[in-house]
Amino acid sequence: MPKEMMLSGCAASAQAAKMAQVEVICSYPIRPYTAIMMELAKMVANGELDAEFVHGEGEHAQLSVVLGAAAAGARALTGSSGVGVTYAFETYSPIAGGRIPLQMMIADRALDPPGDFGSEHTDAMSCRDQGWLMGWAENPQEAFDNCLINYRVGEDHRVLLPQFVCQDGYFVSHMPGKVVLPEQSQVDEFLPPYNLPHPLDPKRPVSHGPQIRPDQGTIMDLQRAQAMLDAPAVIREVIDDYNRIFGRNYSPFVEEYMTDDAEMAFFIMGAHTMTARHAVRHLRSQGVKIGLVKLRFVRPWPTQDVAEALSKFKAVGVVETSTSYGGAARGGNLLHEVRSSLYELPQRPLTTSFMAGLGGEMVPLKDFYYMADILSKAIKAGKTNKTVYWVGFEAED
Amino acid sequence: MAVAIKTQNLAPVKLIRNVPKEEYYVPGHRTCAGCGPALQYKLVAKAAGPNTIFLGPTGCMYVANASYLCTPYTVPWMHTQITNGGAVASGIEAAYKVLLRKGKREGEFPNIIVMAGDGGSVDIGLQAMSAMMYRGHDALFICYDNEAYTNTGIQTSPTTPYGSNTTFTPPGPAIPEGKTTFPKDPPQLVIGGHPAVKYVATASVAYPVDLINKVRKALNVVGPTFLHIHSPCPKGWKFDASKTIEVARLAIETGMWNMYEWESGEYRYQFRPKKYKPVREYLKLQGRFTHLSDAHIAKLQAFVDAKVKGPGIPVQAPVPTPPAVH
Amino acid sequence: MFIIPKDKEVPLGCVTPAPVGEQPMMITGNWREYRPVLEPEKCDLCMNCVVFCPDACFQLNEAEDMVVLNEKYCKGCNICITECATNALTEAYELDFDDGVVRLEKPF
Repeated sequence: MPKEMMLSGCAASAQAAKMAQVEVICSYPIRPYTAIMMELAKMVANGELDAEFVHGEGEHAQLSVVLGAAAAGARALTGSSGVGVTYAFETYSPIAGGRIPLQMMIADRALDPPGDFGSEHTDAMSCRDQGWLMGWAENPQEAFDNCLINYRVGEDHRVLLPQFVCQDGYFVSHMPGKVVLPEQSQVDEFLPPYNLPHPLDPKRPVSHGPQIRPDQGTIMDLQRAQAMLDAPAVIREVIDDYNRIFGRNYSPFVEEYMTDDAEMAFFIMGAHTMTARHAVRHLRSQGVKIGLVKLRFVRPWPTQDVAEALSKFKAVGVVETSTSYGGAARGGNLLHEVRSSLYELPQRPLTTSFMAGLGGEMVPLKDFYYMADILSKAIKAGKTNKTVYWVGFEAED
Repeated sequence: MAVAIKTQNLAPVKLIRNVPKEEYYVPGHRTCAGCGPALQYKLVAKAAGPNTIFLGPTGCMYVANASYLCTPYTVPWMHTQITNGGAVASGIEAAYKVLLRKGKREGEFPNIIVMAGDGGSVDIGLQAMSAMMYRGHDALFICYDNEAYTNTGIQTSPTTPYGSNTTFTPPGPAIPEGKTTFPKDPPQLVIGGHPAVKYVATASVAYPVDLINKVRKALNVVGPTFLHIHSPCPKGWKFDASKTIEVARLAIETGMWNMYEWESGEYRYQFRPKKYKPVREYLKLQGRFTHLSDAHIAKLQAFVDAKVKGPGIPVQAPVPTPPAVH
Repeated sequence: MFIIPKDKEVPLGCVTPAPVGEQPMMITGNWREYRPVLEPEKCDLCMNCVVFCPDACFQLNEAEDMVVLNEKYCKGCNICITECATNALTEAYELDFDDGVVRLEKPF
């Protein structure tokens, strides 16, 4: 019988890894993802999970250890937060380019300076162009589900890409939420055993990663580009299967909430979506025609899905919880990709962005009302005044 | 039922005539003519045999062996970053433990060998090497020492001898000896503080039978082991390609390279000269030392004299030469 | 789908087959200036040339009971000549041979 429990995002992630029967885990402590590893260590120690639990000497080492393990033919798992994620940066391209589908669970955290433990999407977002799948969970249930979904998509031979499975530090990683744990048989039906095409095996020798000729650089890059083109179809298939087996109702890429006759919408991902939903419900009760669109995958970015979902609005407020210093919008990362997705449309909504939740700050309801107010004024004026609002720090608009 | 622990026992070899014939590092690689590291790789591969997985951190034994789209390794091999040879090997070892235990793989636990240069062992690769030694993985870490970052065009590394001319330590009026620092001692770094390590040894291409036997001994140990293999580099050290073995022998005869095994606290020495030749004999064969004055050579000689009294005794580097006054 | 010229294809993840016996994608015989020449009557099968060749180019031919040079790959480093215990090996200028190999084309 599926079991319902109150679990933090970290605990839920560990449960998912256990049910995925991961075989090699590499740990290194850094707040706030460490709790995932502490749970897994207990499971290994008391015989619940038959896996090798390797104490990495740092985050770069964690990724290197699981690379070796996954290349040898074991389902591998690691994770990190904040500067740990960026310390391992050297390894991300070799792993993705080598087509090794291991999983990294990121409970995100603001990057130094200084040592801020608060949640922020910047750590993982800084790594998004290396060829990994990437997406955020809104709550512990989604953190659990995303682990299994990403293993299945990443290990599919049409994709063969590693996965960043992200959740907001503290807001998801440490706050309990309702999680329905399935039966092991359901997981086994959904997730086949790990099967890498060319593992390191003395019975079938291969050379993994010799140099390419100077004129083959683009061709090597095209492999990952092609995988990212092929991945969305696989994601749709897998989500259908997941919904069927586990009784969930995920849309693969974007989830629309109260958008039916909405004039404006929040575009958002991660934990603060929960608050945004409350805000939308409250604003609706006041007659404001607002909805929200939640993004589930940053990579592969679902260009078509985003365009279709957002095209019906007059104004879209992109909620940014990551920074892109010097970027075109001088704000976050999502607005650039949203505008790019909308560019070809004959009718484009007004778009602006809101920097919120940086450094682990909560995004209270009143901030969402402030955002809605700006969107509404923009619709009336027929234009946006700014491309980015640093919520709480702007002079009167 | 597959066993998740090594049970093999590779036998020692007595004479050069008995060296196994099969090649696992075959002709067809872009290493320099006379390459010391290539020679030790060939011998290590012979010693290890077919049930082996090699890791190749970036360096000459990656780049020169893997251009382009091809390698000379008949056994499984994977490129790693120069930073993480020890870590990737650890992951492969952990995978084999669990895969054999679960019956997903069959057969004997494989030899897992990191083939790292001096930089990939004790400079940028030090952290990963040490962690592999500490965690007790059943794998062999080989530092093939050609005493510089040679793949990138001969730059100094922590094992480059005092007084070497490299492109980061060129001699000049302000710095007459070129390299002013004395090298790290890789085996001592390992022996000094890793309780899980039972066997550490130095070897040289000059004595191939000894090298093969040390590799086999290390592979027979269930646990982490470390080999430091002297691999002279004709291009980096500037000597004629035909003299690689001669240079390697002279290093041992002058005390610049010391041959020993350390096994669970006990030292055993090999090829220890009754009387050491002066280091000058070794230096004069190599273009990287031609700029040295007698005073520099004397300093190097003093360091070597202290070192050969026995490994395990920390050797103080001489006080640095004050910078030249213009 | 992308159009990739057949001669530029890279295997998935750059995982290539392991060689068997030799690596013909990297022929190095055209590197040498000097070829080692063996006088078999002087050879006592000490195996120094076989063991010390970094390129495994000397091998014992059991049937002939003599060591044989792999001219396809020999780079002409001459370590074998230096280490030969009985002076059975000497160097000869490569282009003096009828089948002297010289690099006429770029290697890649």
